[in-house]
Amino acid sequence: MTSPPLRFQVNGHPQHLANVPDSERLLDTLRWRLGLKGTKEGCRTGDCGACTVLVDDRTTLSCLTLTHEVDGAKLTTIETGPEDLVVTRVRAAFDRAGALQCGYCTPGFVMALAGLLKERGTAAAREELLDGLGGNLCRCTGYAAIVRAVDELRTEGP
Amino acid sequence: MSGAVRPDAVVKLAGTAVYGMDLDVPGMLWAALVPAPIAHGRIVSVDLRAARALPGVTVIGADDLARLLGPGERDAERPLFPHEEIVYRNQPIAAVAAPSEAEARAAVALVRVEVDPLPIVADLETRFPEWPGSEADAAPEIAAHVRARHGDVEAEFRGADRVVRETYRTASVHQVALEPHACVAEIRGDVWYVRTSTQSPFGVREDTASLLGIPETSIVVDGTWVGGGFGGKGSSFLEPYALLLARATGRPVRLALGYRDEFRLGRTTLPAVIRMETAVKDGRIRARRVRLLLDVGTSLPGRDFATGYSIGFLLGPYRTEAFEVEGYAVRTHKPPFGPHRAPFAPQCAFAVESHLDHVARELNLDPEEFRASHLWREGDTTPLGQPVGPFGIFAAFERARATARAWRAESPPGHGVGVACGFWSTSTGAGGEVRLRLSGDRLVVHEGSREIGSGSVLGGLTAVACRVTGLPRERVAIEYSDTSKAPFDSGVFGSRTLGALGHAVEEAAVALRRTLAERLGARGQADLSVDRGEIFAEAGGHRASVGSLVTAEERTAGGILAEGRHFASPRAIDESRVLQGSFYAYTDFTGGAHVAEVSVDPATGAVRVERYAAFHDAGVVVDPGAAQAQVEGGVAMGLGAALTEEAIWSEDGRLENAGLLDYRIPTLGEIPPMTVEFLEGFAGAGPFGAKGLGEPPIVPVPATVAIAVREACGAHATELPLSAERVARALKLL
Repeated sequence: MTSPPLRFQVNGHPQHLANVPDSERLLDTLRWRLGLKGTKEGCRTGDCGACTVLVDDRTTLSCLTLTHEVDGAKLTTIETGPEDLVVTRVRAAFDRAGALQCGYCTPGFVMALAGLLKERGTAAAREELLDGLGGNLCRCTGYAAIVRAVDELRTEGP
Repeated sequence: MSGAVRPDAVVKLAGTAVYGMDLDVPGMLWAALVPAPIAHGRIVSVDLRAARALPGVTVIGADDLARLLGPGERDAERPLFPHEEIVYRNQPIAAVAAPSEAEARAAVALVRVEVDPLPIVADLETRFPEWPGSEADAAPEIAAHVRARHGDVEAEFRGADRVVRETYRTASVHQVALEPHACVAEIRGDVWYVRTSTQSPFGVREDTASLLGIPETSIVVDGTWVGGGFGGKGSSFLEPYALLLARATGRPVRLALGYRDEFRLGRTTLPAVIRMETAVKDGRIRARRVRLLLDVGTSLPGRDFATGYSIGFLLGPYRTEAFEVEGYAVRTHKPPFGPHRAPFAPQCAFAVESHLDHVARELNLDPEEFRASHLWREGDTTPLGQPVGPFGIFAAFERARATARAWRAESPPGHGVGVACGFWSTSTGAGGEVRLRLSGDRLVVHEGSREIGSGSVLGGLTAVACRVTGLPRERVAIEYSDTSKAPFDSGVFGSRTLGALGHAVEEAAVALRRTLAERLGARGQADLSVDRGEIFAEAGGHRASVGSLVTAEERTAGGILAEGRHFASPRAIDESRVLQGSFYAYTDFTGGAHVAEVSVDPATGAVRVERYAAFHDAGVVVDPGAAQAQVEGGVAMGLGAALTEEAIWSEDGRLENAGLLDYRIPTLGEIPPMTVEFLEGFAGAGPFGAKGLGEPPIVPVPATVAIAVREACGAHATELPLSAERVARALKLL
């Protein structure tokens, strides 16, 4: 089953996709149709958070989202350029804090944190941000350096 | 973006790092494995016809191997597809390649397998309700039997004031690297070429050659970025299947596991039963009997090293006059046992530390003082007669005890503070080589292992090169290439990269400085410095730009060359103490002592870790940021093994919780605040006295948490993990 063509934006670029099956997941569209492999495939069941992207600035698990659901939306992925100031700030904080090791969970963490900051503003409480990252799994860092990156972001101010 | 702390941060934060899962080659097919429907049975028929009838689909099974591979010498004990007998559930019995993932799945569903069921050995204790005796050696389930002893054990037990006997049980735990196993294979002329997410490109080459029965020289393995290894990506797994399908189809083939299969097929730590007996006289341990029954799944004899290697950790790091140690590796109908960060050592430490803590309590002795008075010091010998090398375990334990005292003074009722040690040997494994190339503006380290995230390649090797040459980090580049071009390295495992490959870098860099001094007409070694973007060498009062010292031939080869090699230095045990099987010597003595403060919910038994401190001997710390990160990550993984992680196998050999929802690893909110401290002054065999650090931090964690739980509520839990249910049972709440 396929529906009418889809139009949405990814990182500011318009996409126009025809013949996307109704059952196709956004994760697979991004990775295999659009070649945006920065969004990572982990569990495909919504448990690990590695596939997190922003849909109209809201944190979204792309493995549990059908591509047809994002028709007309603006998507942001880890490949976004410096024009996304919030993602840029989160990336810089992860860099300075060394908040990654193997890097496989990193795109999901960066997008989840950027989504939280966009949704709740830079004055969001520390606990609010840390709670908001509870759905993203990391096996390498023990989260310690990721927490330091969150603290960096908060102390540097808006 | 800068790569301020980690050089790989730039690509990993931009989303441009290509992992095994991301490989995408034009024209590639999607592969899938056909799973065995039951855990044990005799194959009556495998009917591939319906699957083969699908358009664009290729299916291969046991009968196709000879046609695809020719007459080579294949590993007969590990057939890629079983001909007659299925030995674990989901064992691959055929493989398919199709134009899309959906078509591959559809083809798998059409394969008809008829199997006559055979009895399943699912569990250690069902098979051996009584401890196996020597008659068990003949049983088909016994994959290995090892035994060692020293001293008059029986006399010491007879003469003891007190003998304490306990049984511990440990769970099957999974590595849970977030990236599933994935590779893309192609046949390029005569070359079997595979790109894969691996801890060891050369290990995959060797293992694939033996599985396929083709020469290593025909195989080229190229590593990708690795989304977590932890031991699970150390040898070949999917690569032979992908290569066979590439051969059968003439197309590139992608084979990746879904996460459920990651759990179901993963080779990892399986359950064990550990019996500890300790004879004490006048407050001193006189003798110990330690026995291990270890589930090794479908591991083959000689391929499971846990019974011969890890079992040694059940005796250390404590002085023992007389001992007897015995281990059985028991074959069950599960996938083979495989390495998981410090394989089986956290389980050993859990049993050793909990037991010695318990012995002291039974004798009304201070448990920490009791352990401290028996801890190894340099100059002691291990039970198997090897001298204990420089080892900061006692110093770490003293720091941990001091911390525990301070925490106890301020901890509220219902909290408990525990201390435990963990001992491991690092820098093990075979050799490695590197090539250095110095040009006028940079030093390139050419090597054959990919960075897996620990920082040991990009951070550690760079730090060694900088420390020897004096060059700043931005002048040193790591160059990785595939197995056809790179110098040999056995891989990133066993906490060996810094100790072994780092040692090769040190040797090569020293040789390079010597060459430069000779060219300057001086003796000794040249010092390097950077001046206005150019590298200069200085020795014996002479100074010249490196560019001017490079010969014309060297310029075309990229600069002045130097090579370095590391071979593991042989160390010996006293073989007269070994009665049966193989035991191994330790390389570097590494480890540390940890402190945990926990609270226990008195109604449910749920444990929460409130704060944590880790004290480690890592020899000379070469890269402090990476060292701290290894401890933080290792402790978190250990907390999972301590509290929640348990792969549950059913009676019919099925993995009941094959997914991240039901197999729970720690999330961000479950990790306590943590302090990390290194005790220096205990030099290892690595460069400048460094020791490996990838594995040791996980080792003491389950023991530390278990002892803290006992302090908090009196529950003496002898099974891992310490789930709320187990703690509640120990408290007789259930």
